[in-house]
Amino acid sequence: MEQRSQIEELVYRSCMALDERDFKAFLDLCDPGFRYKVTVYSPEIRKEMVWLDHDRKGMETLFTNLPRHNSDHSPLVRHATVYTVKVQGEEAEVVSALQVFRTALDGGATELYGVARLIDTVKLGGAGPKLAKRVVRMETRQLGFGSHIPF
Amino acid sequence: MAKSAADWDAPPKFPATHYVDSRIYTDPSIFAEELEKLFKPSWIIACHESEIGAAFDYRLFQHPSGVPLIVVRGDDMKVRSFYNICPHRGNTILYDPAGNARRMTCIFHQWSFDARGNCVDISRAEQGYQDRFRKEDASLREVKTEVGYGGFVWVNIDDACGPLKDYLGSAMDILAPYMVEPMEVFHFNRAIVNTNYKLWHDTNSEFYHDFVHYFNRITGMMQPGYFERKYTAFPNGHATVGSMNIQYDKYEGSRERAVGWPGLAPGGWYMVDLFPGMTYNLRTSVLRIDTAIPLGPNRVAIEFRGLGLKSDTPEQRAQRVFDHNTIWGPFGRNLHEDLLAVHGQGRAMREGTDSRWVIHGREENSTIHDEVGMRHFYAEWGRRMGRAASDPARESRQPPARAAA
Repeated sequence: MEQRSQIEELVYRSCMALDERDFKAFLDLCDPGFRYKVTVYSPEIRKEMVWLDHDRKGMETLFTNLPRHNSDHSPLVRHATVYTVKVQGEEAEVVSALQVFRTALDGGATELYGVARLIDTVKLGGAGPKLAKRVVRMETRQLGFGSHIPF
Repeated sequence: MAKSAADWDAPPKFPATHYVDSRIYTDPSIFAEELEKLFKPSWIIACHESEIGAAFDYRLFQHPSGVPLIVVRGDDMKVRSFYNICPHRGNTILYDPAGNARRMTCIFHQWSFDARGNCVDISRAEQGYQDRFRKEDASLREVKTEVGYGGFVWVNIDDACGPLKDYLGSAMDILAPYMVEPMEVFHFNRAIVNTNYKLWHDTNSEFYHDFVHYFNRITGMMQPGYFERKYTAFPNGHATVGSMNIQYDKYEGSRERAVGWPGLAPGGWYMVDLFPGMTYNLRTSVLRIDTAIPLGPNRVAIEFRGLGLKSDTPEQRAQRVFDHNTIWGPFGRNLHEDLLAVHGQGRAMREGTDSRWVIHGREENSTIHDEVGMRHFYAEWGRRMGRAASDPARESRQPPARAAA
C-alpha cells in the first residue's frame, strides 16, 4: 500500500510541478531515460496521431526555450485521479484520469481546457519511483489558441 | 504625441489600397455578404483523397458558406459531394465525421441514398406518396467536386462556377514539381478562435509577423536569403511566396530536416495563399494545409492538415511527424504564437472596441516583409464585394464580380 501511495504521489507531484511551471521539479521526477508522448485518435481522418514526442533532453529544451517564445500566460491546473497501478517487477504501469483547467488572468474565469488519460510507466527503485515514460492520451482535440506547455 | 478621437478616426496616410476599415472584421452584414459573394462561388478544399481512399469512404465537411457537405467516393471510385441534408425533413444524414457507407441512411425516417446521390429507398413510399412522389424525386443536392493539386478534394457549391484550373490559374505552378508523388494526411486538428477568418489568412499572407516567432527569426530571418524571398500575386486573389534555405539546426532542439521532400532543395519552403482562406505551406519535409471556415464575424474554425508521402517508411513518417509537431503541432512553437496573435486581433477588433483601421502599407519590392500579399487579397475582396475594403460602408453600384476564368 505504501508503494501505491508513493506512485500516486509521483503522479500528483508531476501535475503540481507543471501547474507551477516548475519544470526543473518536473524533470527531477523523471528517470534519465524518460520519454514523453502526446497521442490522440482523430475520428476525422480515422488515424492515430502523435502530437508531441520527446525524450528527457527534448523536454528540457522545450522548457528552456519557452522564455524565447510568445505564449499565453493563463495558468493551467491539472486535476488527476490515479485509477490503476499495476506493478510488474521493477516497473509499474499507472493509468490516471486527467482534466486540465485554464483560468483567464483577466477576471479569473476558469474553463475546462482538456480531458486526457495519463498512461505512465514508473520505474521503482531505492531512490523512490521515477517517471520512465508518460503517454498523454488526449480525448480533447480542440484547444482554441492552444498552449506551449503540454499536459 | 498620442492621437485624439478625430486623429484616430482619420484614415491612415496611405493610399486607400494600403489599409482597410476594421469594420470588415466585425460587421455582421458584411460577414453575411462575404459568405454569399466570396465563399459560395469559390473552390474550397474539403479534404484530401487519402481520407477517403476506399469505395464508399466518406468525409463530412462544413463548407465555409455554412452548408454541411458529405464528400464520398463512389462505387466507381469517383469522388462526389452532396449536401448532408435529407431532402425529406431536412435532417442530418450522416453524423460521424468520417466513415464508410455503402448506403447513407437518414436515421429519422430511414430514407436511403447511394454514393452517387440517388435516393434508393423511401420507407413505406407507396402507402404514403402513392404515385405522387418517387425515389427519383428525392435525390441529394450534388455539389461540384474536383480532385487535384496534390490530391485535394475541392468543392464549389455554385453550379455556374468555372473549372478549378481556371480558378487557380497558375498560382499553384510553384508547387507543381513537388506534388507529383501521392501524399497522405497524418495530422488533422481544428482550432476555433474568436477572430475574423481574414485575420488568419492575413497572417498567412505576410511574413512581417515573423517577429512573433523566435523559431522563424533564428532559422530564417537571421539567415542568408531571407530578405530575397518574394511574393507573386495571381488573379482571383491568390499569392505565392518564394523559397529560401531555412537553417533548422539553428534552433536548439530542432535539427536539419534530413528526410526532405522529393525535388525540394534542403531547407526549402514555399507557400501558396488561395483566396478566400486556404494555404499550402510546404516546409522541407511536411506539407501543411490550412482551411479557414468562418463561423461568424469574430469566430473562425481553422482546419489544419499535415501531410507526408504515401510511400514513407515508418521512420520517414515519424521524422515528418516530429518536424511537423516542433512548430506546427497543437503544442508546437509557431502555431500557438500565430493563433494567439489572431486571437489578440479578434479581442481588440471585436464589435464596439472602436478599432478603426488596419494598415497594409509596407512596400519592399514584393520581398518577404512587403505587405503586398494582403493588399492583393483585399483588392480581390473589393472586386467581389463591389467596394473597397477601406470603405466598406459605401453602397455598391456594381454587381458583384465573379472569380475570373
